[in-house]
Amino acid sequence: MSKEVRIKDIGKPSKQLIKLRLEDLMKLPPPYDKPGEEPEMTEPKEEWREKYITELDGYIAIDVPFEKPKTKEEEQRLIQRFLEGLKKLLDKENNWTFLQPLLLSLEFCAKCQTCNDACPIYLSSGKKEIYRPTYRSEVLRRIWKRYLTPAGKVFGKFVSGDIELNWYTIARLAELAYRCTLCRRCTQVCPIGVDNGLIAHEIRKLFSQEMGVAPKALHELGTVQHLRVGSSTALTPEGFKDIIEFIEDDIKERTGKNIKIPVDEKGADILLIHNAGEYLSWPENPAAFAIIFEEAGISWTLSSELVGYDAVNYGVWYDDVQLARIARKHVEVARKLDVNRIVVGECGHAHKALCVVADRVLADEYNIPRESCMPILWDIVRKKKLNLDPEKNNFPVTLHDPCNMVRLMGVVEPQRKILREICPQFREMEPHGVYNYCCGGGSGFAIMTSMNFPEWRNKVATRMKFKQILTAFQDCIDPSIKKYVCAPCSNCKGAIRDMLDHYQATMKCGIYYGGLVELMVNAMVDIEEPFIEMF
Amino acid sequence: MLTPLQISSYLAFAIFVVVVVWKFVKYATMPIHLRWELYPVPHEPEHEHGGSFFEHQNIWQLERKHDKLNELKEMFEEMLFIKRMFQNKRDLWYVSWPFHAGVYLILVWLALLFIRAVLVIAGVHSLVPIADALIMIAGAIGVIAATLGCLGLLIKRVGSWELREYSAGVEIFNLLFVLAVLLTGLFAWIKFDPNFNIAKEYMLSLVSFGSQPMPELPKPILVHLILLELLFIYIPFTKIAHYVGKYYTFHTVLWEDAINKPGSEVERKVKRCLQFRVSWSAPHIAGRTWAEEAANPKLDVIERWKP
Repeated sequence: MSKEVRIKDIGKPSKQLIKLRLEDLMKLPPPYDKPGEEPEMTEPKEEWREKYITELDGYIAIDVPFEKPKTKEEEQRLIQRFLEGLKKLLDKENNWTFLQPLLLSLEFCAKCQTCNDACPIYLSSGKKEIYRPTYRSEVLRRIWKRYLTPAGKVFGKFVSGDIELNWYTIARLAELAYRCTLCRRCTQVCPIGVDNGLIAHEIRKLFSQEMGVAPKALHELGTVQHLRVGSSTALTPEGFKDIIEFIEDDIKERTGKNIKIPVDEKGADILLIHNAGEYLSWPENPAAFAIIFEEAGISWTLSSELVGYDAVNYGVWYDDVQLARIARKHVEVARKLDVNRIVVGECGHAHKALCVVADRVLADEYNIPRESCMPILWDIVRKKKLNLDPEKNNFPVTLHDPCNMVRLMGVVEPQRKILREICPQFREMEPHGVYNYCCGGGSGFAIMTSMNFPEWRNKVATRMKFKQILTAFQDCIDPSIKKYVCAPCSNCKGAIRDMLDHYQATMKCGIYYGGLVELMVNAMVDIEEPFIEMF
Repeated sequence: MLTPLQISSYLAFAIFVVVVVWKFVKYATMPIHLRWELYPVPHEPEHEHGGSFFEHQNIWQLERKHDKLNELKEMFEEMLFIKRMFQNKRDLWYVSWPFHAGVYLILVWLALLFIRAVLVIAGVHSLVPIADALIMIAGAIGVIAATLGCLGLLIKRVGSWELREYSAGVEIFNLLFVLAVLLTGLFAWIKFDPNFNIAKEYMLSLVSFGSQPMPELPKPILVHLILLELLFIYIPFTKIAHYVGKYYTFHTVLWEDAINKPGSEVERKVKRCLQFRVSWSAPHIAGRTWAEEAANPKLDVIERWKP
């Protein structure tokens, strides 16, 4: 067990609090159990150290330059600003959205450490102290107690524990909020129900909502671009329409089917919203949805209106105000189209953001039903609205459970029922369902690609998922046997794509990945050529 | 005529009750928060696999069914046996569970002392021997289990790096305080009051508001009683009162999944919160109400953070 870092060390002036080494990380199953099978770890560049926060572990999630104070007065201003933000987190009007859950988690943690071994990042890192799920929570708790509670002001260390609030503490805490994927496995096992994932989420909010500091991929290029341009991918309404035409042509070419994808059709039953990343990186996924929905006779439409063609809502990871804005835009689009309900495609966080979390930022005419695509897809399979031949999917398949859709929303069985029906070699990874591990790309990590952050993601955050996948396929790990990881979520697919690339697992083990609807179309009897390409 | 000791007993109990109620009220009157449930949610009919109503279509038309029995089962398993710790942190459970079970039995013991006093005052003497037997069982097992558990918790808290590092001084003090109360109680029971007769008489004097005589208290029992009163006053102000938090974390956060349907109570509460003013200082926030901020976004960003 790593004991080199103490809680009070968060404020220790030093170049870097910890350094990760390959030999310390969690061991992987064959063929990665031998040295030299995975890339070495790198050092942060010196020029990064001047502009960004490398004082935690050398990795950079916050790619907005974060200036170090040059004088004591500047440091005091930073401290005051941070404390102002913390006060607002504990204020009814500014943080009604999470006040009760946050206070409960700050006030009642028994520090029993029952949660530790539930955290894939803590385990994958070789139990590095700063990644212990209670570490960042305890830092925030001590600051809160010391500076903002009467007991802390009177009794000091005796009630708050040892902590010093300075630039190092604040800067490291900002980075540390982005070393947790908000998967909330730790909360599942806590005897008191304390939520360390929520505390990480609230720290992110403090930095974003008070200081305007958040990873560019989430804020400037994420929610801000989403609201300005229409999509966090920078896809414009015109670009979207072009892609739809391309997808229609591609469907014709690959399947021989003439499908006119409905766009902006008023009065449809369903407004289907995909993560716009699908259109750019995996257009076969919206294509497969179109084939299935048309074949099954579903009344549906896509939207080409600003924000309406991108289901993502990065606000759910770091900023409640941005969350509310994007959710509101999504339902505005649905209202204009006069649909009965919004259905979210294969995107986990969009599921949770629109159906669960944003449920309580909508009211009156902006409150319309929002649902998952999974029960509809299962209904189509169950009622045999498609002619499917499971033999066409006769290769090993395992299922990844996107945290946002499964553990945090309870959509567990429909996708499994489909796979059991159409994939003869389907096998569960362990653990699975609501106890499955995060892909490692959760809470924005999949799209955060600045500087050396992808290395941390691939080495630490996705390591547990990689181990699970390898273990699930150990009986057929030979690369000549093509295998498929079904990940019904865009961000999970992104993380798994990068993971397979980083470990060269497609070449070494024959592992491929994709969504659920692709497997359904691949099994359709009247489509001659394989829809899923594994080569 | 009430003695100062009896008055202090009433006061300690009253402070305990008032502060605990205040804590419950504090959390109960907080604004509604965004939904943040975590599956499995035990009242969902599909709880076996962790499923929710989202596994169905047309959720607004769906007739929601709640498996209240399973929710109670889950609740009692967690309350009585600390199930999550048993499954995930067995070494700590071996001391935590005896401690908690012991404390529950001591609370039962106190309740039985009260009931016995009421029976005596009401003249229902036939039931008193039953109460006496139960008092003996609950008191004896309770104080032994709680003392051993508390001692074990203290050893763990101090001896294990991962527990000690995360504990402030007050958390060690809390255990020492509870242990002091338990050890003096254990000593008083074994040495001076093996049948809890003094405890029974003292409770009778309290319940009868002094009309029944207060027993002579040997000094060790007096010390124990004063410590116990101080503990009663102290508990609600500390994390020892985590039972308050546990109720809310499970019932109003992790298992709370009410849909915001038009015209519902949830919607009424949400609408009130949307009128709260946002005063966050980031450049993309304009200081309007939540509803206004959502409707008309301001989208300024900073290029770099400067102190």
